[in-house]
Amino acid sequence: MSSSANIVLSARGIVKRFRSGDSELEILHGVDLDLRSGERLALMGPSGAGKSTLLHILGLLERPTFGAVDVDGRDAWALSTQERAALRNRHIGFVFQFYHLLPELDAVENVMLPAMIAQSRGDFREDRRAHIAKAMDLLANFGLSHRLKHRPTQLSGGERQRVALARALFLDPPLIIADEPTGNLDRDTGELVLELLFRAQEQRNLSLLLVTHDERLAERCGRVLRLEAGRILGPLPGRG
Amino acid sequence: MYRFFLSWRFLRSRRTNLIGVFGIFLAVGALILILSIMTGFLEETRRSARGSLSDLIITLPPYSESKRPRDPAPVLEILRADERVEGASAHLGWMCILTRQDERSLRILVDSQSSEIAGVKLTGVDPATEDSAAEFRHSLDKVGRSEEGEIVAPRLRVSKLEDPFAAPPEYNANVGRPRASVIVGEKVMTYHGLRRGSFITLMTAVPDPKSDTGWSAKKREFVVAGCFRSGENEIDLERVYIDRGQLARFLAGVSEDDPLPEDSILYSEVLVKLKDYAADAEDVRATMGARLYKAGLLDETCTIRTWEEFRGALLGAIENERVLMGIMLSLILVVAGFTIFAILSMMVTEKRRDIGILTALGATPRGVLALFLLIGFWDALIGALSGAVVGTWMAIKIDPFERWLSETFGVQIFNREVYLFDSIPSVVTPVAVAAIVLGAFVCTLLFAAVPAWRAASLDPVEALRNE
Ligand SMILES: Nc1ncnc2c1ncn2[C@@H]1O[C@H](COP(=O)(O)OP(=O)(O)OP(=O)(O)O)[C@@H](O)[C@H]1O
Ligand SMILES: [Mg+2]
Repeated sequence: MSSSANIVLSARGIVKRFRSGDSELEILHGVDLDLRSGERLALMGPSGAGKSTLLHILGLLERPTFGAVDVDGRDAWALSTQERAALRNRHIGFVFQFYHLLPELDAVENVMLPAMIAQSRGDFREDRRAHIAKAMDLLANFGLSHRLKHRPTQLSGGERQRVALARALFLDPPLIIADEPTGNLDRDTGELVLELLFRAQEQRNLSLLLVTHDERLAERCGRVLRLEAGRILGPLPGRG
Repeated sequence: MYRFFLSWRFLRSRRTNLIGVFGIFLAVGALILILSIMTGFLEETRRSARGSLSDLIITLPPYSESKRPRDPAPVLEILRADERVEGASAHLGWMCILTRQDERSLRILVDSQSSEIAGVKLTGVDPATEDSAAEFRHSLDKVGRSEEGEIVAPRLRVSKLEDPFAAPPEYNANVGRPRASVIVGEKVMTYHGLRRGSFITLMTAVPDPKSDTGWSAKKREFVVAGCFRSGENEIDLERVYIDRGQLARFLAGVSEDDPLPEDSILYSEVLVKLKDYAADAEDVRATMGARLYKAGLLDETCTIRTWEEFRGALLGAIENERVLMGIMLSLILVVAGFTIFAILSMMVTEKRRDIGILTALGATPRGVLALFLLIGFWDALIGALSGAVVGTWMAIKIDPFERWLSETFGVQIFNREVYLFDSIPSVVTPVAVAAIVLGAFVCTLLFAAVPAWRAASLDPVEALRNE
């Protein structure tokens, strides 16, 4: 449990400032965070605390003003843009509150998108059948076997989030980052999506970093961190 | 692989892209069509200019003070001896006024606005050698034929091609005094209302030291033996051919059957045709000039010019026009490129969120740049290739197409009479087509590069933050 070998994600001294006009606004004041392999970590906190900002930094989408993020044992922000993009592609799966599917692609194509980005044209063509089979399999597992060829606009919110979930899992990344994945869904649909997310997490022994406002959801996570005004307030005992 | 796949998807899912494609299509098609026609005009004009001019033209003004021999034979002999020379022929040119016993002549003389002119360039030729240096009989043979080449108007043509200055069958030599034959340009024939066998009067002046003005007037009646068509408006409008000996007699004032006096003017220029004009023209001009000069056959008043120097202004003007047209039409390409720029810019704004998603899933800025450049590339590919195909096809088929238009709608777009071309000239040069297509690509990609670069430098987080 304490061995550094199975730490998937590690952040040290994360400071984030935004320039707004002449003044600088500091949103994160030095955040430390470790995520172990197979761990389920919930991040809670009031709106505007900087949770999404922290998630974007940990997900290698936004550069911290100070501090280091290690993914897979590598200092991600010291890598080249290309290497960092590859790390995002292979090691991190994103689930957003607003699903963020490409409207031009159908469900299967959306799910395969990480592989399209990862592979060259020739390689992808070779693996195409396998990819399609895998995408259909994932979608079928999530109860979407009758929605394979649907575009996002033809899907309900819950269905869209399940497609997004399949996309995040497609390249089998060791880490899933989810920012309020149920924030836009009604209670029952949210439950269903969460059920699928937790099941996949357990089956694959993934690390899950989850931002939520839902206490009941947080209770089901192994560890809960509270972020308030840009600082981690220390771990709360989790039950689940 | 997502770049190819997504660029196609984005392209297909946005109808506005069709506008850009259509713009490139139009620009490329129009450029190819118009440049082909301009090139055709240029080549056709060159050809028709060629038809009546020889490779080299030696002008030897017959001044009375000059010590040069009166007869062209020594000059022709030296020229014909050179192995690079295909043939040489002597001309005697003299400006005349043409009239006939008809009110029309008066009208032409008094109407200062008329394009019909009374002044003609009487050109004395040797029918036996003229064809070795110029396309003389060809211009006689072209007259009075239908498009298929059948003779439809025999009364316009000279009666015997092998002896073009023979008296026409309509002319009764026993009536009045004998008259020498002339062959007039096709337009001279029409404007003056002439027919084969018509009589015309030519008047001119010749230098005369005995006269107090230094000149004396000459006037003589001739019979029209037929007409010729050079295809060049200016020549068909003012040239009249005559046997060189007969012109010399006219100028000397001796009658048609009499021998020529010693001091008569016999020639004023020599036409030279080369076996390989492109290769030898300059060299022959220099060596022949020197040799003739040394033999005392040429002096400072003489010039040797290539045919292109005579037509330089015209050829230069058309070439100039072609280049200008090309430059102006290239602006269409710029406009088309600008359309691409506008459409892609809109697309980038619209797809901010998608660009953020792609970045989150592992796309690099470079990949996003390539993605949007590829959309421009597809636009250029579809637009330029279809434009090249349709433009080339139109350029090849422009003549039947214009005829069809004229016949269907009764409007004449291309007046074949004005240009003296039997069909709309159009020459498709593969190099030009390739250059235009390449230009379309370069232009489109340059314009696409700006929005593509903007897409690549978008902040993914900003794009992802909200719905
Ligand atoms: N690019 C930016 N420029 C300036 N300020 C920003 C920028 N991005 C975020 N902020 C500010 O940072 C603060 C934290 O935002 P963040 O989205 O991380 O909050 P959050 O904890 O996710 O809130 P919520 O629970 O409502 O999603 C907010 O006050 C926000 O206005
Ligand atoms: Mg947030």
